[in-house]
Amino acid sequence: MIPNMLEYYNSTKKYDVDIIYSGALWADGIEGLGVALRRHMEFEHMTLTASQSVFSVFIEQMNNMLMYSAEKVDVDEHRGVPKGAFILASKDKVYIAQSGNVMKTENAELVRSRIDHLNSMDKQELRKYYKEQLRSENLNPESKGAGIGLIEIAKRASAPIEYEFIPYGEGLTFFTMCVKIG
Amino acid sequence: MTFYFEKEKTGSTPYVLVDEGKKYINIKGESYHENVIEFFKEVNDWLNDYTELDGFVFDCEMLYFNSSTAKLLYNMLMHMDDCAAKGNKITVNWITTQDNDIIIECGEDFQEDMSNLTFNIVIN
Repeated sequence: MIPNMLEYYNSTKKYDVDIIYSGALWADGIEGLGVALRRHMEFEHMTLTASQSVFSVFIEQMNNMLMYSAEKVDVDEHRGVPKGAFILASKDKVYIAQSGNVMKTENAELVRSRIDHLNSMDKQELRKYYKEQLRSENLNPESKGAGIGLIEIAKRASAPIEYEFIPYGEGLTFFTMCVKIG
Repeated sequence: MTFYFEKEKTGSTPYVLVDEGKKYINIKGESYHENVIEFFKEVNDWLNDYTELDGFVFDCEMLYFNSSTAKLLYNMLMHMDDCAAKGNKITVNWITTQDNDIIIECGEDFQEDMSNLTFNIVIN
């Protein structure tokens, strides 16, 4: 038996956690988590824009983890499902959506510089930048659009995106991104 | 053979109807499946090879979509706009509700880039 279940449970209260998930990011699992998230917000009397913003950050963080997570659960010898962690916390109508995943250290610098760049922009600049990226992605159909998801997150955030890169063994880094909404 | 495609909505994918005979396209609901490109592949393949869009109406009634879908919709609309530039008359109705600020803003952004087709933002 895992001895500190109560400790985990109490720590969720300490940090005002509404939802916590850690594990393989199956498509239907993400969908289910999204349902739980919306159900939680239903009773908070939020505007549509506020609840859509939280939901949107959640979805883009999930996509980001699907793209970058370096830890996978093997489905068969060719395919694995990326692993990641997600926390939704809230206090006084301010939401925190935080994701965490292991990634290749070689990609960390790119992610860091992208977030720093987005954090330096105001809402109008972000809107303009998002459109520019849509146009350039239109000319590059092979791109997976990783850049646009991060811009969407920045557009919905009410404060600069916080992040941390923590060394995680040979060539790997644990990346966590914290987004405030509201 | 005219192209006909219809798919009911699921939790993370929208209702999609493409009816070449009736010159009508309808996408309605939410779109945030991780593999949205795969979901729209059949429609996209048809559309990208098809330039006779004269008289087409596209009703786009989305509640929410993720950034991959935004990219995909934008590319679809740009293709339609290119066809419109060659003389096709195409109408896009971006249908939403007053409280859906995110969808309205996105519609405005898309509208700015469509210089040839008719792009209406319809607020119900």
